[in-house]
Amino acid sequence: MRIHQGIAFRVALVAAGDRGDAEEAVQDGFVKAYRALGRFRDGAPFRPWLLQIVANEARNRRRSAGRRAGLTLRVAAATSGDAAPSPEAAVVSHERRDELLDGLGRLDERDRDVLVHRFLLELGEEETAAALGIRRGTVKSRTSRALERLRAAVGEEVAS
Amino acid sequence: MSLEQQLSALATTVGWPEAPDVAAAVTARLEAEATPPRRARRPRLALVLAVLVAAVLAVLAVSPARTAILDWFGIGGAQIVRVDELPALDPAPGLGILGDVVNLDQARTRAGFPLAQPPDDEPAPDEVRVAPGVRVSYIWRDGDRIRLLVTQFPGSATDPGLLKKMVSNETRIEQLTVDGDPAIWLEGGPHVVYFLGPDGAVRDDRGWLAGNTLLVDRDGVTVRVEGDLPRGDAVDLVRAMSR
Repeated sequence: MRIHQGIAFRVALVAAGDRGDAEEAVQDGFVKAYRALGRFRDGAPFRPWLLQIVANEARNRRRSAGRRAGLTLRVAAATSGDAAPSPEAAVVSHERRDELLDGLGRLDERDRDVLVHRFLLELGEEETAAALGIRRGTVKSRTSRALERLRAAVGEEVAS
Repeated sequence: MSLEQQLSALATTVGWPEAPDVAAAVTARLEAEATPPRRARRPRLALVLAVLVAAVLAVLAVSPARTAILDWFGIGGAQIVRVDELPALDPAPGLGILGDVVNLDQARTRAGFPLAQPPDDEPAPDEVRVAPGVRVSYIWRDGDRIRLLVTQFPGSATDPGLLKKMVSNETRIEQLTVDGDPAIWLEGGPHVVYFLGPDGAVRDDRGWLAGNTLLVDRDGVTVRVEGDLPRGDAVDLVRAMSR
């Protein structure tokens, strides 16, 4: 269970937009997944299936709380000393990362969701499709469209 | 740097709140709703065959819907689920699930991940099977019976899902380390094993009844030793497998 709770919590946080609701969604989702594990045997891939259950729980909580979907993430405050930034991260300035997050936040919910799942949560197409409750083909097309819109909003690259 | 690469770079620096540990709460809820388990009978080694037959019959009679999950462990590329009733399974799966028969050199080139050698203090395996990129198995036979099965498959705590094992209440689960590598020892009672493909899909859902099992996560490759052997022997065997 602990090997999945990190990613499950992040998916729930994105879907619920609230930490407390996300935690409850993970708990309820895991309980439901356990109960349904007999059905998992029939060939459904495990992690997408789990994430789908958790994401559904989280979305239901957001709806019943009447919250609008939004991006609640921030770039981590300057490296906290426990891990050096990856080489990729180091070449993208803090300002640019803020700009990207801001751009993501201003996208339409559907565009933002697909980019957040594919790039920030680092999920594959299948898991993204499961978490968002859409088809895999839709993930593909929506990703390229959303990238275009983000590109229009923040530009391809800042001049170095 | 493309926009996609910039977004990927962003992923490493997003300030995600720390995930709460829900394992205890979930387990407590599941235990609260689980039916009280029946008294477990411990199989004696001398009666392994009879116990296996009885277990298969018992399992076939069980409806999966009644199965309650009591615990959930993960190590390397394996998930271990403790349930109060094992699900029904085909009692006679073939070894084809483990892949094609090859020689050791072919196994090394086709494995697709760093392969540990067979233990140097055991006779050479009677059979080597490889499912490229998925798993490599060393098999020792004793007549028709499989005496010892050593399987290696890639996977880490962050990328699990290559093997799923369901165990019953009769199985003792012990967490340990082997030369610093995290390991799990499963002893007693039948297990049901499912192998999952790299995409997490069940490759063959027939499963089989497993003996005592040691799972060791060695640098992202899980080594699984299965057979009628005590814990100490299984640990020594993994230690004798050079990386």
